[in-house]
Amino acid sequence: MNVDSSSLRNRLGVLHVTGLLFLIGVILSLPSLRGSGRHLDYLGNLGSLVSRFFPPDWSVSGRVLAALGETVQIAFLATFFAILLSIPLALAGAQNIAPRWLSICARMAMNVIRTIPSLIWALIAVAIVGPNSLAGVIALTFYSMGYLGKFFSDAFESADPDVAQALRAMGAGVIQSFQHGMWPFAKPLVWSHSLWMLEYNIRSAAIIGYVGAGGVGVQLYSYQEYYQWDRFCTVLIYILALVVILDLAGERIRASITKRLVRPLGTTV
Amino acid sequence: MPLLPDISTVAQTTHLNVRDLGCEREGKWLFRNMTWSVPRGSFVAITGPSGSGKTSLLRILSALENPAEGAISYSCQEGCQHEPDLFQKRMGIIFQNFRLSPTSTLLDNVLTGRLARYPWWRSTFGFPPSDKQEALELLETLGLAHRTNHWAAEVSGGEQQRTSVARAFFQQPEIILADEPVSQLDPELAVRVLDQLRSFTTSGAASVLCVLHDPTWINLYADYLIKIDPRSPDHGCLLRVEA
Repeated sequence: MNVDSSSLRNRLGVLHVTGLLFLIGVILSLPSLRGSGRHLDYLGNLGSLVSRFFPPDWSVSGRVLAALGETVQIAFLATFFAILLSIPLALAGAQNIAPRWLSICARMAMNVIRTIPSLIWALIAVAIVGPNSLAGVIALTFYSMGYLGKFFSDAFESADPDVAQALRAMGAGVIQSFQHGMWPFAKPLVWSHSLWMLEYNIRSAAIIGYVGAGGVGVQLYSYQEYYQWDRFCTVLIYILALVVILDLAGERIRASITKRLVRPLGTTV
Repeated sequence: MPLLPDISTVAQTTHLNVRDLGCEREGKWLFRNMTWSVPRGSFVAITGPSGSGKTSLLRILSALENPAEGAISYSCQEGCQHEPDLFQKRMGIIFQNFRLSPTSTLLDNVLTGRLARYPWWRSTFGFPPSDKQEALELLETLGLAHRTNHWAAEVSGGEQQRTSVARAFFQQPEIILADEPVSQLDPELAVRVLDQLRSFTTSGAASVLCVLHDPTWINLYADYLIKIDPRSPDHGCLLRVEA
């Protein structure tokens, strides 16, 4: 009882300190609200911009759909390559599989990759292979590796090591004990995370075109440059429709993949 | 009523030899100076109160942990002596907590009993149809024919336990180390599993070491008994079970 109440007190203490620090952060950030300093009619500006969005110019639908197709292609390929590269990276990063030094190095590498935003990866890729969809694939592959590597590592770490150990004790090799002792547990999680990454990459692929890395983002950029807001709005509507479809489908598929995960063994149904 | 083998026909060569074995936990000896030899083809029951070291003994015998002192050697059918870790391919282990892959089917879990027979690149592409057929028959024998394609996580504790037993049998090992293999089974199924374990030894080539608590079953199935109980004068000794 004493232990419980003291740990509750500790947690409350931490919560209060965190809340106080957050409040101080908010107060110190208030100067960012001052804007340009000029007296602008914010609401009027917003109304004027939005009015130029409507009605959308549907005549560009064909081009937008083709670019959207390219966006999806970029996302699919980037996710595919990222999965291939992430599995060995994740194995190296899993603390219950790799030696500690390797696990620390792999996790640091994944942290560094994740720190760099997809737009910066796209700028780097465009500088190397030029402004095309290949740059998009390269950028999103690297960007996704940071995330998938971490997710896969966590999935491998969540598998019960006793199963693999049992197989080893019955004479199975190291690879076999992974294949049959850990992979069956991690597989649904790996697929679920990969699907989430695909959804995420489709959204990202729509943006990286802003720096020339192919896809529908290139059109967004050019319509914005030429103040063709009605066409810009058409692109946004198509992107929105794609994202909604992806969200609905992805959620259902992910739920069906992971729904049977996972009740501990030894408990009675 | 199970058929018991005629012990006199069983070859009495040593299968497992244990010398001065000791196991220590947090500065306390669970057992020390354990010395005995198990004749090939024997059914050895291990009994004792909870926490006395029965599971620890099996872990040491299966090379999952090192003993604090003493030595273990297994004799293979060819008559050579082996350290426990070099004998693992010939051991079938039934774990107390089953240690099945929860997201693999019962059939796949049983098939993993033969992983040691194949290189990894062969088992990656599945097992031979003859192995699958044999595994299915084994599951059927243990009353699991209707569950073969269910995940281990989806079936009851008793069904998981029988799958764990099936995996050990499927391995066709020289020795089975079983940690309470019937703890979650009703008497009828328990008898079926114990009959299987007993019949496993009747060829005279294989032995079973099995943690059991029920004196009736020990009298019915076991040739030898090891009591792990510091309060007992027979603590750590191998005793002949009189029929």
